[in-house]
Amino acid sequence: MKLHEHEAKEVFAKAGIPVPRSFLALDAAAASQAATTIGFPCVLKSQVLMGGRGKAGLIRLVKDAPAAQEAALELFASPHGVHKLLVEEAVAIEREIYLSITVDPVAAEAVVLACAQGGVEIEELAATAPEKIFRESVSLSEGFLPFRARNLCMSLGLSGDLAKQAAAILDALWKCFRANDAELVEINPLFVTKSGTLIAGDGKLLIDDSSLFRQAGREAGRDYYDSDAAFEAAKEGIPYLQFDGDISLMCAGAGLTTVVYDLIVDEGGTVANYLEFGGPNYRKAVRAMELCLKNDPKVILIVTFGTIARADVMAEGITDAIARLKPKCPIIPCIRGTGEDKAVEMLRAAGLEPLFDTEEAVRKAVALAKGGYR
Amino acid sequence: MSVFIDRDDTILIQGITGSEGSFWTRHMIELGTTVVVGVTPGKEGQSVEGIPVYHSVRRAVAAHPANAAMIFVPPRFTKDAVFEALDSGIRKIVTIAEGIPLHECLEIRAAARDRGARVVGGNTSGVISPGRAMMGMFPYWIERVYKPGRIGIMTRSGSLTNEVTAMVVAAGFGVSSLIGVGGDSVPGTRFAELLPDFQADTGTDAVVIIGELGGTMEEEVAEAMEARRFNKPLVAFLGGRNAPKGRRMGHAGAIVTGGKGTVEGKTATLRKAGALVAARPREVGSLLFELLGRNPGSKA
Repeated sequence: MKLHEHEAKEVFAKAGIPVPRSFLALDAAAASQAATTIGFPCVLKSQVLMGGRGKAGLIRLVKDAPAAQEAALELFASPHGVHKLLVEEAVAIEREIYLSITVDPVAAEAVVLACAQGGVEIEELAATAPEKIFRESVSLSEGFLPFRARNLCMSLGLSGDLAKQAAAILDALWKCFRANDAELVEINPLFVTKSGTLIAGDGKLLIDDSSLFRQAGREAGRDYYDSDAAFEAAKEGIPYLQFDGDISLMCAGAGLTTVVYDLIVDEGGTVANYLEFGGPNYRKAVRAMELCLKNDPKVILIVTFGTIARADVMAEGITDAIARLKPKCPIIPCIRGTGEDKAVEMLRAAGLEPLFDTEEAVRKAVALAKGGYR
Repeated sequence: MSVFIDRDDTILIQGITGSEGSFWTRHMIELGTTVVVGVTPGKEGQSVEGIPVYHSVRRAVAAHPANAAMIFVPPRFTKDAVFEALDSGIRKIVTIAEGIPLHECLEIRAAARDRGARVVGGNTSGVISPGRAMMGMFPYWIERVYKPGRIGIMTRSGSLTNEVTAMVVAAGFGVSSLIGVGGDSVPGTRFAELLPDFQADTGTDAVVIIGELGGTMEEEVAEAMEARRFNKPLVAFLGGRNAPKGRRMGHAGAIVTGGKGTVEGKTATLRKAGALVAARPREVGSLLFELLGRNPGSKA
């Protein structure tokens, strides 16, 4: 779960990391008022989860009240679905630094990254100038010891009071990483102000989804999803991704569903949604089909090769869903695995033509979708 | 001849009294696996499929020595279960749960490494040597998938395993050992770490890896091939070739970030190292056939 900037900064501030003075505004009037309170110049920052907000024009520096009003109106009206603005004091910047903590799956450690050049796309820098990125690998049982902060500060060329501030920030960032079960915490950029202080210009915090159960108060609301269907699916525990093509996928298993997606694209087809109803969801066929039908798909393609998720149980769910929801689009079932003989009988009884080969099922779905059925 | 598990391994089952635990214990035994003891805290004295149950791993192995642990406990209790098995000296562990907290995945992998143990999983169906033994949940009775033979398989995905393995069998081959390393971003054991075992296994002629977008496990396999640590024929099938950037496709580990972890990149790296990469599941069978001809060990 990716937090919005203002939420990440709230976490950082509580841990003792300096952040700019700010207010969260839910409409243009509140934003204008917040700007006046903070004083000019100040920055209006759209609270959306997409990257590259600056380039997309979703962050504006404003010099006076009318400009703030105008920018706020524009941002709230943008096509990126801006519902909140963070109105923040503008900081007089001397230079920018990059800090982050993420996981290293091979070493089974956390890795703290620092770069004297902030505001950069770190992956890009890692590819072009890896020597500019400094790293400390930290085992979780050892924790983040002060010598690692000193190492990084020396690498960054920080000394004296700035080094002290940076060490404190690194220590606090580590605590945020651990306490929030983070996949990633990042301060990019960390401002070095003209008055010689460090302050977090941006904040990124990705919480591991498998740890949300122990992260009290962290629940992904509607604004964490790109569609109503994705939000509803998440509430049901059904893995779902929204696309805007013709074929609705109702498949079992992440790997298989991903490959069915690949094959559809190979065949020149387009996907309306990715949906998994395998695993613990294999009795949720009705709910799954309901979600698919919201996309008004040209075809629903069902591909499974179940182990624990029994084919006959899924087939029963599918025939039940068809009886209840009466979909107008064609349904192509390719359901195999435990109990498949019984599944085939049930599907045929419901007037469907079961297939046994994934590639054949995909080709048929794409052909039907292109045939302009309906 | 097999990798990771065979009939002479003695298995302890953690979470044996649960519905999944007891169901799959029965099937492990039916396949020929030597299950010796089970553990569920608070249920000592009971038995499941004739297997005695103890409160703790320590008490269980004191009465019935075991060298491997199969863990059927929910994700939030998995770390505890793994460390309990390690604490009793068990060095071969399979854990299936999907949704183990990320930081605990790091701790599990680090602990296994520090103790010289191997933990396979989580988020996997486990490990099977068809016709011999299994630790996990495989419908080995589906003959067009779980046919004994001489092809080693490693996979990040359960559902795709059936799909691809069926193609291996359809091409006239069978499976020596199949290891599901799991779909998490920090699995306990990585593809490349198992290659030496497949290299040494006289029952394995070639290896198929079923990978997907995200992470670096496929690149590590290529590295092992380049370094000649593995030189049997290797065929890869990778899911997520057309997956849109930045979207997590089902598995926690299946995401491309900052241009890293693309199937395109993995394919090029593997090919450069001498692996064959199949564009479709069916091609896995035909590529193996090209490499090996008819499988000499095939009983078909």
